[in-house]
Amino acid sequence: MTEPSERLRSELSKALRQGLVEEAKDLTQQALSAGEDPLDLIQNVLVPTLSEVGRQFQAFEIFLPELMAAGDAAQAATHILEAEIVAAGGQSASLGTIVLGTVQNDIHDIGKNIVKTLLSSHGFKVIDIGRDVAPSKFLEAAEREKADIVAMSALMTTTRPATRSTINLFTEAGARLNYKIILGGGCIDQAWANEIGADGYAADAAGAVDLCKKLVQR
Amino acid sequence: MQHSWLPEIVRRSEQGPFMREADYDRALSQRVRQLVKTYSLKFDPQVLVPGDDEMVSRLFQAAVDLFVDLGAYNQSTERRILFSRREILEAVAAAPSKVVLGTGKDAVVEQHRGVESSLPCRMHSGPTGTPCSERYHPLILQSCAQEPLVDCLGHGSISSYMGQAIIPGSPLEILAARTEAASARQAVRKAGRPGMHIEDNAVSLTCAGKMASLDPASGLRPSDGLLIAQMPELRTNYDQLSRVAHLSSVGMHIVDLMTPLIGGLGGGAEGTAIITVASHLLGVICYNASYHFMGHMHLMRSNNTDRMGLWVQAMAGQALASHTPIISVNDLYTVSGLGTTQVLWEVAAGALIGTVCGLNQHGVGATAGNETDHTSGLEARFQAEVAHAALGLKRAEANEIVLACLGRYEHTLATPNLGKPFPELYDTDTLEPGEEWLGVYHQVRDELKTLGLDLDSGWRNAKYDGTF
Repeated sequence: MTEPSERLRSELSKALRQGLVEEAKDLTQQALSAGEDPLDLIQNVLVPTLSEVGRQFQAFEIFLPELMAAGDAAQAATHILEAEIVAAGGQSASLGTIVLGTVQNDIHDIGKNIVKTLLSSHGFKVIDIGRDVAPSKFLEAAEREKADIVAMSALMTTTRPATRSTINLFTEAGARLNYKIILGGGCIDQAWANEIGADGYAADAAGAVDLCKKLVQR
Repeated sequence: MQHSWLPEIVRRSEQGPFMREADYDRALSQRVRQLVKTYSLKFDPQVLVPGDDEMVSRLFQAAVDLFVDLGAYNQSTERRILFSRREILEAVAAAPSKVVLGTGKDAVVEQHRGVESSLPCRMHSGPTGTPCSERYHPLILQSCAQEPLVDCLGHGSISSYMGQAIIPGSPLEILAARTEAASARQAVRKAGRPGMHIEDNAVSLTCAGKMASLDPASGLRPSDGLLIAQMPELRTNYDQLSRVAHLSSVGMHIVDLMTPLIGGLGGGAEGTAIITVASHLLGVICYNASYHFMGHMHLMRSNNTDRMGLWVQAMAGQALASHTPIISVNDLYTVSGLGTTQVLWEVAAGALIGTVCGLNQHGVGATAGNETDHTSGLEARFQAEVAHAALGLKRAEANEIVLACLGRYEHTLATPNLGKPFPELYDTDTLEPGEEWLGVYHQVRDELKTLGLDLDSGWRNAKYDGTF
């Protein structure tokens, strides 16, 4: 790798860590102009940088605003790189499509939003369908987006049964085996995930990334 | 502000500036970050009970600036509810500084407390954000209500009704809400304190569920209260505001519940302190609250007994105590569970700060509200005793003791000792704590006494103003 290329990669990584959207876009364009491979930039600059940002966030070395800013910068850079890949006739670099939402009657979404940021920055296409999402809306979104994974979040104990109702609807519709369905949130644990037949559970956002990577590799 | 304030809140909710919620998040984060710098707010992990009155004053100003600039976000309309600085400060000035909670001989006056005050704290107890089983919920409530130092009873939440999972918005929620309210009423009756203030019915997630618990004969009465929640950060919606409308119309206490997240949109301790104070302003002007629960918590662990959580309580408490007449109550969440020394050390640190920094007391959300049946009356007794013993302490003195308490549990925050649930620690017939739990209680109590807290006769430190 040439010295200018190393410098550009290093500067792009720094701009992502600092959440500098315009600078990240500019450096991404510069890297492409210098002949860098867009897929390689995603895999070897964006993903490792955001992985480190995610680690720092989990360790409480940085906080949500820094994570959000890094996620915004990474999203802007990814948008440019994806367009370049598609224009060159390549396939999307997405690791997979995830439909993500907070279950019916639960209006808490900060945890979901953190998961969304981390999944997006690790190369997943995330369709965020919001909070207080009815089971049928999860199913509709999964079918419409041809999702690989459906991810449900629930914080309040009294909203936990909605995760079961949602899985039950997928089963009744004959669509259960078309998707991996995973759970997270304050009132969920592995035992509950097992009880209702989910494909996985993650205790935190970093765990959700690892889980989704494992599921799409199978 | 018009005198018909709730219609005005609705009008502003409909006509205020539109903003997507994600954009509000970003705007709030950026503004908080600026304010931390502008007002030179600085978290010092060694000074958890700061005595810097100027920084306290700057914190209050930063919070007012934030609320003036951003306003409250109404999720129902995706619009901001904006207020002028004058409206905010006038509403704060007019907020209640004393309220009567409960009725008859069991009524208590809860009031605004000052920094380093010798006015006793009121003690709110019950399963704080902690789920309970149907079987043990009534016993847990009674164990709290029968504690002589407990003044008010929190409801807690059950997750099933006759063995069936409660579905919010369904008839089960209504039935569970009414059952839970009746359990709380029965608990205070059996404790011989039928007029004790009951502060919420936590099983309900919807407005209808909350309202279903109102029943003067066997449920909640106007002398009780219900929580009106803010969603983090500075968000409300029509479901919450509709609760305000009904409770106001029947003259029932409104309890403002906030859960600012440390490490969340406000960033670290300084930004979260700004949001915590601003959330109280929202609770005053949008909810017309009788009192406020300061429920800030760690984004990952959901406790507020680590260094940042304690500092936020100390700073926000002082800012409210020094610059407003309002009544705020701490809301202790620990990572440790019942039956452990650590949970009591966490409670001691939080209770000390609350007392010295102008708050009343509420606890305990053991296991950060995760484990079922992790509430009993004994930790509330302990919290109240610490609060009594800390009356009149200077902030620097409190800081030393808090740091000593932290030394007993800080190393366990990442891997907490979850202890045992209520039925393993209490005699479920006599409703007295068992030897194991009492042994732990006496062990920590004795150690705290060696740190300089007079837990046996702390009540002697109390100075009353004639209305208490």
